[in-house]
Amino acid sequence: MDPSVVLVLAQKELKDSFRSRWFVVFAGVFAGLALALVAFSMSGAASYGISGFGRTGASLVNLVLLIAPLMGLTLGALGLAGEQERGTLAYLLAQPLGMLELLVGKYLGMALAILGALSAGFGVSAVVILAQGGYADGGDFLALMILSYLLALVSLSLGFLLASLVRSSVTALGAALFVWLMLVFVGDLGLMGTALVLRFKIDTLFVAALVNPLQVFKMASVIRLGTQPEVLGPVGVYASRTYGSHLMALLVSILLVWIAAPLAGSVALFSRRGAA
Amino acid sequence: MRSAFLAALPVGFAALLCAGSLGARTLTVTPSDNLQAALAMSRAGDTVRVVGGHHQGHFKVSVPMTLAGENSPILDGGGHGTVLAIDAPDVTVRGFHLRGSGDSLDMENSGIVVLAPRARVENNTISDALFGIFLRKADDSVLRSNQITGKDLDVPRRGDLIRIWYSNGVTVEDNTLSQGRDAVLWYSQGLKIRRNRALNSRYGLHFMYCDDADIEGNTLSNNSVGIFLMYSRRLRLVGNTIASNRGPSGYGVGLKDMDDALIENNALVDNRIGIHTDSSPREIDSIQTIARNLIAYNDVGISILPDTQRNYITTNSFLENGEQVQVAGSGQLQGNIWAERGRGNYWSDYAGYDRSGRGVGEVPYRSESLFENLTQRAEVLKVLAGSPFQVALDFAARAFPVFRPAPKLTDPNPLMTPVLPQGVPALPRKQGRGLAGTATGLMLALVAIAGLPRAQKDPRRPRRLRTPTADPLIEVEALTKRFGAIEAVKGVSFAVRQGDVVALWGPNGAGKTTVLRCLLGLFPFSGQVRVVGVDMRSRGRLARRFIGFVPQELSFHDRLSTAETLEMYARLKHAPLARVKELLETLGLMEHHRKSVRALSGGLKQRLALACALLSDPPILLLDEPTSNLDQAARDDFLSLLSDLSRAGKTLVFTSHRPEEVESLATRIILMENGKIVRDTQIKGTPSEAVTDADAHSELKDATDILASANPNECGLALEGH
Repeated sequence: MDPSVVLVLAQKELKDSFRSRWFVVFAGVFAGLALALVAFSMSGAASYGISGFGRTGASLVNLVLLIAPLMGLTLGALGLAGEQERGTLAYLLAQPLGMLELLVGKYLGMALAILGALSAGFGVSAVVILAQGGYADGGDFLALMILSYLLALVSLSLGFLLASLVRSSVTALGAALFVWLMLVFVGDLGLMGTALVLRFKIDTLFVAALVNPLQVFKMASVIRLGTQPEVLGPVGVYASRTYGSHLMALLVSILLVWIAAPLAGSVALFSRRGAA
Repeated sequence: MRSAFLAALPVGFAALLCAGSLGARTLTVTPSDNLQAALAMSRAGDTVRVVGGHHQGHFKVSVPMTLAGENSPILDGGGHGTVLAIDAPDVTVRGFHLRGSGDSLDMENSGIVVLAPRARVENNTISDALFGIFLRKADDSVLRSNQITGKDLDVPRRGDLIRIWYSNGVTVEDNTLSQGRDAVLWYSQGLKIRRNRALNSRYGLHFMYCDDADIEGNTLSNNSVGIFLMYSRRLRLVGNTIASNRGPSGYGVGLKDMDDALIENNALVDNRIGIHTDSSPREIDSIQTIARNLIAYNDVGISILPDTQRNYITTNSFLENGEQVQVAGSGQLQGNIWAERGRGNYWSDYAGYDRSGRGVGEVPYRSESLFENLTQRAEVLKVLAGSPFQVALDFAARAFPVFRPAPKLTDPNPLMTPVLPQGVPALPRKQGRGLAGTATGLMLALVAIAGLPRAQKDPRRPRRLRTPTADPLIEVEALTKRFGAIEAVKGVSFAVRQGDVVALWGPNGAGKTTVLRCLLGLFPFSGQVRVVGVDMRSRGRLARRFIGFVPQELSFHDRLSTAETLEMYARLKHAPLARVKELLETLGLMEHHRKSVRALSGGLKQRLALACALLSDPPILLLDEPTSNLDQAARDDFLSLLSDLSRAGKTLVFTSHRPEEVESLATRIILMENGKIVRDTQIKGTPSEAVTDADAHSELKDATDILASANPNECGLALEGH
């Protein structure tokens, strides 16, 4: 793999993203909502002298759970499937570069664009907290952003995988929205129903919850923000007692696997199919 | 005996001792004097004045007296035992810094131990002590304005910073306790606990079997539990600030088997659970009053065990708690009062209205949440808490009443505005660490990312293509390509020599474009393709460096400009960026270089594609229907460019369905049908070879025959035009 080629492609993808309406809308919505959430939390909290990051952080976690997967999935699926549909993918592959370089370059560019969007949202929020004289630990804040970023990268990988399974951008968009719905709502509903009917043991439920990367992100955020694991009921306590200080490493590793596996799947599928 | 002891004293101390009066004396101890000795010889009513100094050892006061420190004298236990023990009544100790007790929990090593009534311990600093101040049977004592810091140990190994044991009528005022285990107040009646601060400990205050205590104006924050009240009667908890107590149980206020407690006008903020009440009140004829408290930003506002009754919970403000009211365990809340005299509580999630303007909602507040209801039945489901699913589920339950759960409580008269507590201590201000740095870092990252697309660098070492020595330049052997069940190309073999201009000719679906794409290695195929001797399947990236490609469908990134497009492809091909300007000028694109690609005409796009193909000056050009989207003038123009390239020595392979294009450009025609080559004819010499008029005439005639035989309908139409 030629790193200079990957960088050129990443740069092009980044430029493309900044000029994409989808991306601008996502970034704007995320920054706007984050700003509104922080301002709202701060204004309420500040009047009682309490302006800790815990509650603001919890609101941001909820926002990230909604927006980051939507951003990653749609940008990934649309970006790649659209390129395929327009024929630009084939034209790029007619140049002296390989499929791995192409996909990694595109992924890197989109990942940087998403990093930019999240940095904008979190950065503006941090400025507002500072301006209102609020309290937040820089480390907590950064950790939440890094976890959010990992979740967005998971979604981006899934978007790439979807694009490698379908041919048109419309289908890719539909599939991305479907997967988003599954991850955010339907998966949890299914897990709840199954856990109730099959009377899952705690360890089984813990493992089942970790299948959904959104739950992994949420659990990691809860732990990082210093909330007691009891908030997540017996499963949280079980996880905390079983894995102790390694729990965070476990959760981050799962997110990393969620990033790598769909991306590898996408590369394999595209390599087999070529630019047909 | 006494004279012998005095003889042992330092001269200075003895002199000061003599200066005292004959009744209540004042003994002054300087840094060089022996405090132990001064205490041993002091009498009831004496004042021992200690001026500065560091006094090592374990000290004991056995007569009623005043021990007054000036300039913060240090009493240092050296890490062993108890620093100061008082076993006489009416002793006052003030102005000292006591430190370095032992760390034995069994021996209850303390800063100060008081074992007699009416002690006054004031304005002392106690640090590095296992237990801070320990009162045992010390009725009517006063602990005032002391700063007590525990040892830096794990919480279970720490001691209690204040322990009051069987001591009635004790007043504890204006003390600050931090880094201890608990402040324990047990078996003591009529305590007055006012304006103290308890921070970073396990239980800020822990009461057990203490009736008639007043707990007022205290700040309890960042402990595991703010205050736990147990097995006591008539406690008044009024005007306290209890915040950020977030340990495993994390109660702001815990109430267990309490009777007639009054919890009023407190700020309970940012705890895990604001108030937890378990079997309180306990006795059938007692009640519990929880009124005018601010219960805000807690994970759970108030948690009540289901068998708990006779709680009067009114005029509180429940503000933005994660869960406003929790039933701890299964069952419904019954027998508690949520409104009195037409006034209930303020609920920040109340969605009613106040038509009459009385400040009270017209519709009762119902605390109901399907998710909370479900987690009450199956607690394991709490793992899903805090996700969008929880919000969606509760929204669905509200939208479809069939799913509506039974409410945990109904407040018949919810207030429309919060009632805020008055005169409570301000919350401790936290300082953010590193947030400014984080914010700056994020903004810089954003600027850096935004600037990345503009960073243009010439490749450090633009790669020059070596002049190909292989001939033929392209070798194709037994090329076969399947798309599922369809075999698009069936065992095709041919070779292209340097300088050839080869037209792949044939009807639609003959496999021309597929062959071209296989030559580029765009998808997997069987057979062999070698470009300049390099195998396309195994070393496609290298082989493609010798090829410039002009596609039929011009597939550029519309958001890039003409120049940006060329620059990007130049960098992909490791071509020098100077080549971009050169080609913009050569191909007449300079005046369009700022235009977005989507704004270019078909002819200009075709030129751009050719420019991209020529960036690295490759020996081979592959063109797929290069003029199919052009009008006549643009077509002529483009063909003339291709002729020039051919004359300059480029090897061209192109597909086309236009006979005039083939006639004017091709030196060789490969006719394909159904994925096979049916005829391969050289119609001209390469531009470098001399061709006689007779040869040319004969080959052109052959070419026309080939065109006619290839696809009569298509050729007919084309020839008519021609």
